[in-house]
Amino acid sequence: MLDILSEELDRNYKALQGKGDPAPYYLAYAVSEVDAAAVTASQGALLSSSARRSRTIDVTIRVGNPKVDNYHSVRGEMAQFTAGVPLALDDSPDAIKRTLWRETDRCYRLAAERLITIKTSKEVKVAEKEQSDDFSDAPPLTARETPGAQDFERKDWEKRARKLSEALAGRPSILSSSVSAMGGREVKYFVASNGARLMHGRPTSRVMLSAQAKSDDGMDVATFDSFDANNAKNLPKEGKLKDAVEKLGKDVEALRVAQVVEPYVGPAILSGRAAGVFFHEIFGHRIEGHRLKDESDGQTFAKSIGARVLPDFLSVIFDPTLKQSAGEDLNGWYQYDDEGVAARRVPVVEGGVLKTFLMSRTPIPNIPVSNGHGRRQPGNEVVARQSNLLVEASKTVSEKELREMLIAELKKQNKQYGYYFQEITGGFTNTSRRGIQAFKVIPLVVYRIHVDGREELVRGADIVGTPLASFAKIIAAGDKLEVFNGYCGAESGSVPVSAISPALLVSELEIQKKESSRERPPLLPAPAGSSTLSASPNDGGVN
Amino acid sequence: MRRRSLILAGLAAAAAVVSAQKPEDDAILLAMREEMARAKTLRLQGVNDQLYYIEYGLDSLHSFDATASLGALIRVDENRARVPRVQVRVGSPEFDNSNYVYTDLFGAARAGGGVPLDDDLTVLRRYFWLATDRVFKGSVEAIARKRAALRNLTQQEKLNDFAAAKPTQLYQSTVKPEIKAEEWKKLARDLSSVMTAFPRVTGSSVDFEAGYGTSYFVNSEGSEYRYPDNLFYVRARASAQADNGMAVRDAAMVVARSLDKLPPESELRKAVEQMGRNVTALLDAPVGDDYSGPMLFEGIAAPQLFAHLLASNMGLTRQPVNEPGRNFPVPQSELEGRKGSRVLPEWMDVTDDPVREEWNGQQLQGTFPVDMDGVVPQPLKVVNAGTLENFLLTRLPVRGFEGSNGRARLPGNFGAKAAVFSNLFVTAKQTVPAADLKKKLIEMIGQRGKPFGILVRKLDFPASGSIDELQRQGMAAGQRGGSSRPAALPVLIYHVYPDGREELIRGVRFRGLNARSLRDIISAGAGEQALHYAGNGSPLPMMGQGGHVALHSVVAPAVLFEDLELEKRQEDWPKLPVVPPPALTSSVK
Repeated sequence: MLDILSEELDRNYKALQGKGDPAPYYLAYAVSEVDAAAVTASQGALLSSSARRSRTIDVTIRVGNPKVDNYHSVRGEMAQFTAGVPLALDDSPDAIKRTLWRETDRCYRLAAERLITIKTSKEVKVAEKEQSDDFSDAPPLTARETPGAQDFERKDWEKRARKLSEALAGRPSILSSSVSAMGGREVKYFVASNGARLMHGRPTSRVMLSAQAKSDDGMDVATFDSFDANNAKNLPKEGKLKDAVEKLGKDVEALRVAQVVEPYVGPAILSGRAAGVFFHEIFGHRIEGHRLKDESDGQTFAKSIGARVLPDFLSVIFDPTLKQSAGEDLNGWYQYDDEGVAARRVPVVEGGVLKTFLMSRTPIPNIPVSNGHGRRQPGNEVVARQSNLLVEASKTVSEKELREMLIAELKKQNKQYGYYFQEITGGFTNTSRRGIQAFKVIPLVVYRIHVDGREELVRGADIVGTPLASFAKIIAAGDKLEVFNGYCGAESGSVPVSAISPALLVSELEIQKKESSRERPPLLPAPAGSSTLSASPNDGGVN
Repeated sequence: MRRRSLILAGLAAAAAVVSAQKPEDDAILLAMREEMARAKTLRLQGVNDQLYYIEYGLDSLHSFDATASLGALIRVDENRARVPRVQVRVGSPEFDNSNYVYTDLFGAARAGGGVPLDDDLTVLRRYFWLATDRVFKGSVEAIARKRAALRNLTQQEKLNDFAAAKPTQLYQSTVKPEIKAEEWKKLARDLSSVMTAFPRVTGSSVDFEAGYGTSYFVNSEGSEYRYPDNLFYVRARASAQADNGMAVRDAAMVVARSLDKLPPESELRKAVEQMGRNVTALLDAPVGDDYSGPMLFEGIAAPQLFAHLLASNMGLTRQPVNEPGRNFPVPQSELEGRKGSRVLPEWMDVTDDPVREEWNGQQLQGTFPVDMDGVVPQPLKVVNAGTLENFLLTRLPVRGFEGSNGRARLPGNFGAKAAVFSNLFVTAKQTVPAADLKKKLIEMIGQRGKPFGILVRKLDFPASGSIDELQRQGMAAGQRGGSSRPAALPVLIYHVYPDGREELIRGVRFRGLNARSLRDIISAGAGEQALHYAGNGSPLPMMGQGGHVALHSVVAPAVLFEDLELEKRQEDWPKLPVVPPPALTSSVK
């Protein structure tokens, strides 16, 4: 495969350099080859089961020169050249080369057209404030590494998912629920005109559990849990998954009848997993380097290098070379990023002080080179993205002490209760200059902690706020790290990420009451009976 | 966006055993029946418009799709899915929640997913229980909003919302899917490798698809059905860019309702080879010019022309109740309001026959036992002695017509189904031997002093290009004063000179060709040709489209027109690539 790609790359690059006007100065082919299978079951019955093999080609062609090329950011407009078209699944030079040739031609035309537009607009407009280059050099790496195998037996997992999901059938207040499992392996091929030749990749697997119910007042409540491992054989054993399903069921039933929160401002504890998501959403997205090129972005930390952005006992590191933490496989690791740059550990905040940004090969003022965070989902253009986010605390306290500190803080602020956020599913954040620089994260399992130490499950809480204000109010960290594995969606598509953090005590967090559905619970009771028919001869298997 | 598996509506396997025996062991029918019985008791307090009709439909699918290019697989997809439909009508047949611009938003769109692939009665029932609850509540909201909208509107015409129909029960045994993955992957690879012999063709692919389906239906009036709904496809496309930048293309397609009716591989290879030869010939063909004069459609172009111009205009649509001050035009049939008018020469008839299984040894593709409203269709004379007599109808009352003739074959909008044809037979009482039509064409150009006439042998129908290309064509045609509605392009079109010589041309399109043009047919040939394809109810379906499709056959004779027009295509063609194409290494010849 690398040979086929290299041959066609060289042929196209030479010809375009000779006859193309404007001529390209860089050409790269990135192929993503994915073998993946997934199953979903609900209440003991299979909902879906599929297996897929795909190959996608992304072409990057740069015309002009590294100072100003066709990717030049103009007023926040993201250039898109690649289309992520399918490539032959067989290693057939004829079929593969024809596709590469057609895609190179298509991207070259778009690139040439955009460069001409940019040059015209550059001449007209007053020079923009930011004068960094459009592309940075990177050493041409060569490696051929065969990624680890994936042991995901789809038929076995169909059985397992049916069995696991059956446990929720006995809980009548759960309206819908599912158990999903997927296993896949991605091989990435990367060749570029500077001589880079890479083959690498990784397996991924995941189990996801979810359950939804409706409170009598119409509010939807949901719980979610997931487990990630590189190889499916490292996923939790059946007993542990069964326990997780049980807990999920109990949690959603308890949530259904839990108290509804009222708007609140005051102290709160974020569990390690919740704090990880909080940092990913609110901090991580704001230090993705390309945002500093985008005039329409709020650029929260634009002038903050060397400045204090977090309390001095906290550091934040992005480390895509880390495969495990706290005994769990991490989702955000890779060997090379999607621009052929080697992954490396990047301390972003040290002792509360901002040191650098996450960088792709698109330079920003004062940071001329990549630090291996140029990532994308096939079919998108690369931008700087997060990998494994680690929150490190130089002074920590035990969970018990953290709880005591919360109660002390409550007393100090004269509050009757505070909150403990156990599970957060994700959130969104607006980094644009238009609209409010704000965020919202969506917690799933939240407890109210009273000054007397009592705990009470609540529902309907959203955490809201503005980023800079929120970080200043972190006052203590726990001593146990927790891992959140997930997939992050942004400009360059969905990429696997992790966030690892200790629990955090925040002196002031703002909670909003979730917008609630007005729809009433179902009018008729659930259908009676749990009999399962024997397999019908005309359709899929049933046990 | 990924492509989809096709969801079929309205076909039946020839071999299926028809039985009126109610199957008591079919989990899907049982779940529908049991939940239907409970759903009939649904009531909302304090609301006037209560439920009067419920319908459950479900398509169970198991499909396999392999696409290859130049001998290499590009995509393989095996998919199992159960696609449900839940409809609830509240109010009364005279006035209900349908035929309102937001009907689907509050109703059908809320049916959601989550139908199990396993025949688990409880989980199936849970799906219908929850979906019915959501759709019922949505339907109550829709009718309230519809009433509110009508407070500020005067309706031009008061039509009922739902026509009565006799309940039907029909049960056919299902067909067990047999997925021969390796065999079919090899077939796609082998057929696509034929194109390695045509190095000037720069883009080509062959797609094999097997779709096994079963269609289920239960409504609250006592209608029930279950029948197999299968589709097997081979599609091939090829394209290239001529010296002036113009794109030239050809496509080949076969469809069958059962696997054993697909042509043997040797025949499929010939079709792919012919496609390669056609595209190569088109690269060297001269560019045609504007033309006005006699035109002959023969071979597959004749049924293609009728499918394109006539078939898609045989159903009627209706404007939904809208929100005041908003315009939401629904495309109308070109034949709307022309019942009793002449649409073809007096010596021509058109019949839509959903019952007939075969024609001239070929399997007819449009045959189906019962429609999506649960109505059993009968053959229908659409055009009698050139005069339009009937339209295709569903249970949707339309201007001048109320009562279905069983043509609801595709999901429609605003709570209705779309009326779509089955097997269309275009027949001529007066014909001339096929060879004489060309002589007649030559005579006509002689009389009119024209240097040549035009002969069309193949249209790009269903369209083989991309949606983008189709839109660009529409815009380009609109710019020259033509209609911007999608129009089929000619693929194989020839100058015919007085000495009988034929010359292939490219780069022209029809001007002003529409359903009205069919009145100007002056002669028809003896012997007919059949076209079999999958359509979606639009005048120009796409060859690789996803979503709901219905199979059709069109049988028609060659036809000669007194006067039709062509115009030269004047799109801006892209430049040829800077880099020449890579050489083919595994060329077989």
